[in-house]
Amino acid sequence: MRRIVLSVMALTCTAVLAGTAPAFADGTAPSPVPTRAATIAPGDEPSPVPTRVPSAEATRAPAEGQIAVRPEGAPDTGVTAPSTESGSQGGLLGGSAAAVLVAAGGAVFVVRRRRAAGTTEA
Amino acid sequence: MTPLSRRGFAAAALATLLAGCGGPPDRPAATAAQESTKDGATASTGTGAAPRPLARSVPVRLLIPAIDVDTPLLRLGLAADRSVQVPPVTAHDQAGWYRHSPTPGQVGPSVILGHVTVGSYGDGVFRHLARLRRGETVVTRLENGARAEFAVTRVRTVAKAEFPADEVYGDVDRPELRLITCGGPHTGDGYRDNVIVYAALSDTAR
Repeated sequence: MRRIVLSVMALTCTAVLAGTAPAFADGTAPSPVPTRAATIAPGDEPSPVPTRVPSAEATRAPAEGQIAVRPEGAPDTGVTAPSTESGSQGGLLGGSAAAVLVAAGGAVFVVRRRRAAGTTEA
Repeated sequence: MTPLSRRGFAAAALATLLAGCGGPPDRPAATAAQESTKDGATASTGTGAAPRPLARSVPVRLLIPAIDVDTPLLRLGLAADRSVQVPPVTAHDQAGWYRHSPTPGQVGPSVILGHVTVGSYGDGVFRHLARLRRGETVVTRLENGARAEFAVTRVRTVAKAEFPADEVYGDVDRPELRLITCGGPHTGDGYRDNVIVYAALSDTAR
């Protein structure tokens, strides 16, 4: 029983002591690197850059530049060649349709005249 | 050594070993933190490397090597219906800079327009504008001899009926460029869409 108690105590004590060792190691050896890096990174290196760039630009933006007169609607930047072609095609279609109509009208006229002539002859 | 001390020694050795195993994971965490700060530093350096805006000077030439564009720039204003003027339809088509917009390199959206086709004359100066891809270079030469180089950030094809005026003409906090032409299928009246290239200043030379 004693042995068990003693060995458990020894185990606990050693574990506690050993556990404190990495804690010291964390506290002393590696800590300067991350803390320095952390302090340097936001403090010295990056901060001048973001503060300079947006502030300069943001203050300049309304003063100069920007569009003085905003256009209305969408720009019409495409004069289509096919549109002129389609126009001429439309003209062709319209012309041929008119020709067909004229021909049909003429045929009807001729037939009617012939019929009329036929009835008068008879 | 008595059996008691042997067991105690063994237990102590085991405990030390186990406790020692708990140490190492903290270090990678520290390096991870350093890496993230490094990333932050490089990111901020990246924004810090952004070129300073240029003084106002009218653009006289536009070059887009990726789509073989090399054109003098006209000055365009507003049409009678308050829409933006477009370059005249000629055999030797040229692009034009909207003179109420910032000059290229100034803070704000500088607007340049060109035809995609010029009727019976064939292709316009911006015939292949929609082929531009992100990161490709657009160069403008200014009247005072300066040069403003832009990198394409975005290419959009939008219906004219839904032209994003705020996005195109709205204020921005850095020098940007808008290249505009027509695109999409053409109906009886013309093209249905607009092709808009957004670019940001990437380099300057005076």
